[in-house]
Amino acid sequence: MRIAINVHDARFDAEVEQQRLTAGRSDVGAVVSFTGRVRDFNERPDVTALTLEHFPGMTEKALHEIAREAGERWALQGVTIIHRIGRLEPGDAIVLVMTASAHRRAAFEACDFIMDYLKTRAPFWKKEHTDHGSYWVSERQSDREAADRWEHS
Amino acid sequence: MTLTHLNARGEAHMVDVADKQETRREARARGAVHMQASTLALLSEGGLPKGDVLATARIAGIQAAKRTHELIPLCHALALSKVTVEFTLDAEHDCVHVEAFCRLNGRTGVEMEALTAVSVACLTLYDMCKAVDKGMTIDGVRLEEKRGGRSGEWLRETAPESTQRPENEAPEEAIEPSSMGLIDPSGAVSTASDLKVQFLAELRERFEMPEILLSWDQLPSHDIAGVKLALINQDPKFKALQNQRVLCARNDAMCQDGAAIVRGDRIAFFPPVTGG
Repeated sequence: MRIAINVHDARFDAEVEQQRLTAGRSDVGAVVSFTGRVRDFNERPDVTALTLEHFPGMTEKALHEIAREAGERWALQGVTIIHRIGRLEPGDAIVLVMTASAHRRAAFEACDFIMDYLKTRAPFWKKEHTDHGSYWVSERQSDREAADRWEHS
Repeated sequence: MTLTHLNARGEAHMVDVADKQETRREARARGAVHMQASTLALLSEGGLPKGDVLATARIAGIQAAKRTHELIPLCHALALSKVTVEFTLDAEHDCVHVEAFCRLNGRTGVEMEALTAVSVACLTLYDMCKAVDKGMTIDGVRLEEKRGGRSGEWLRETAPESTQRPENEAPEEAIEPSSMGLIDPSGAVSTASDLKVQFLAELRERFEMPEILLSWDQLPSHDIAGVKLALINQDPKFKALQNQRVLCARNDAMCQDGAAIVRGDRIAFFPPVTGG
């Protein structure tokens, strides 16, 4: 399985990443791609920007581990995870998860799984900025529940 | 020095110990299983297909110590009074250190029992993890110390090397936690007795510091809970670390309060993650 992990502040291009993931392979029958974007509303209605912090060293290991675990659960041919860090504005893409498989079901489910685990296990933190100050984003119970459902599947 | 398991004709025989005086005998042995970083991470999370690896390997080591005489031909059957098998996960070197300790009041030493416990615990670790990592190696199985009996006390550190190592090969002791040094960002090498503790995101802002160095001697216990208590003893503001939501990583892998630590570990505390 081809695993590509990238944590950086530059923008990414999903089309380029898809070509990279499938380059030279004709056995890939399905590619599923998820892109997460910055909303202009979250805990407060007037988010002007956010800053993404991470834990260099651990982040890459954690993402690699999540991709590897997805590869154990589903027959995948490749996984790409890109997560941006630094200052981002509403409309900016934050995260890309792309899975390649022979058949669509594995690619869909693995992509879902990777996002759920990324949100609860990878050391990233968001600080949202508004005109009235900045605050650290709280974890969501719904994210934990989403990740928990894979524990029993 | 003669080999006691050979008789005058050079044949193997079991040493008659009936007339030897009973003394307290103790032995400590160590070994390590090197594996891929991902395997070690799975092991620490309990994510391996065969279940609780360390608990199983511990029982295997203890059982093996009790049955050493069945495996090693000229070894006496001993009524061990104590056998312990401990594991230390070492993410820096991608290995699990295994240490066994055996004790009894008797007429023969217990080093074979300690070595057997380490060997079988290592083999069990291999068996439990081989589904995800067949390239693991079992290394450095050795006696560390032995006490009691005619030969008295023996410590590896003070004993002469039993084999010559090639000059370009680092001595095995280099991987021992006790001799590891941490290089801190200022460029100064901190001593092995220090433990680097980092705070991330909201915790860094709340404590107004990105990291703190703890002395190993400050720890009430050698686990994450001990790190928290040592910090709280320094400053009550660190009580915030006891909040259930605070997460902890040891050498880049998430861990719980009960996780054992060794000198030179990199510990980080942080709030619940909110990426994606």
